[in-house]
Amino acid sequence: MGTNIDLKNIWTQQKIETPKIEILYAKANKLKSRRLLKLIVVNITLLLTAISIGFIWYYYQPELVTTKMGIVCTILAMIIFVLSYNTQFSLLSNTKTEPNSKEYLTQLIQLKEKQTFQQTTMLSIYFLMLSLGIGLYYFEYVSKMTLTWGIVTCVTTALWFAINWFYFRPRAIKKQNTKLNKLLIEFEKLNAQITA
Amino acid sequence: MKFETIYKTYWQKVFRLCMGYVNDSDTAKDLAQETFIKVWKQLPKFRNESSIGTWIFRIASNTCLRQIEKESKMPKSEFPKEIKEEILETTIEKDVKFLYQCISELQEVERIIISLELEDIDQKEIAEIVGLSRGNVRVKIHRIKEKLTQKFKINGN
Repeated sequence: MGTNIDLKNIWTQQKIETPKIEILYAKANKLKSRRLLKLIVVNITLLLTAISIGFIWYYYQPELVTTKMGIVCTILAMIIFVLSYNTQFSLLSNTKTEPNSKEYLTQLIQLKEKQTFQQTTMLSIYFLMLSLGIGLYYFEYVSKMTLTWGIVTCVTTALWFAINWFYFRPRAIKKQNTKLNKLLIEFEKLNAQITA
Repeated sequence: MKFETIYKTYWQKVFRLCMGYVNDSDTAKDLAQETFIKVWKQLPKFRNESSIGTWIFRIASNTCLRQIEKESKMPKSEFPKEIKEEILETTIEKDVKFLYQCISELQEVERIIISLELEDIDQKEIAEIVGLSRGNVRVKIHRIKEKLTQKFKINGN
């Protein structure tokens, strides 16, 4: 077929200067260090917060066990968050050899589904643990207050938890899931092209 | 195989594949670079389960397929492209542009398949890269070529 040869001929006319290999190496290193920096920043921020909470324990010497439990819960919430944040990077990278496109798309779809699930549950657990932790922590101090102040503190805290749980949590989840769902739809569309 | 040799041998081929997918030389260059960064990182793990070419084209195709993820993060800026295009073009340049334009209008997977075919890659290998049966690849290539030839005829090339 004459047209075949023509198309191939035209196709190979498209040329671009091969960039120097050093540019590639530089870019690879930059990417690596940027990813590492982000990871470090998130981890250090949360570590510092956890340390400062621990410092409260050390400095104010709470008497009740509930206060200590509260502190542990809060720190645990942060640890859970960091762990799930850190594992999301390794979900795809440990595959042995490069899969073909069909397998790759299936993997991507699974990854996105996993991410959606992880983020939804993780965020809920994070909010729950944090609220529980702060609630427990407050108990000791509220019990020492006068009745009126105690009620005021309890109501404000409960209100704050409610806002978090019913407003901020669904919003955060929705924001993440819209992005993920959009990608999921796109990847499924691509997958349909192969399986069709 | 040394990475430098791979890079020199495959850069143009990978670039063309990416170019067929996105039809934008800057994006294609980025995608080709991303492909080679992955090749560079994974080369020590490469165990000759497939030919090196199949492996590289798999990485390139998958990088292209994952491109939407970036698109949704960063919307493409609309640059006025006319400025560049005012320069007088030869017929062959016009043909090249038209061919890549036509390919970029195909479905994503079709773009990859035809790009690999035009790169003179064996249909058996294309099947291995994309994950389709050989027969399916052959049928698809035939249909895509028909579509492209038709477009070229209509355009009067």
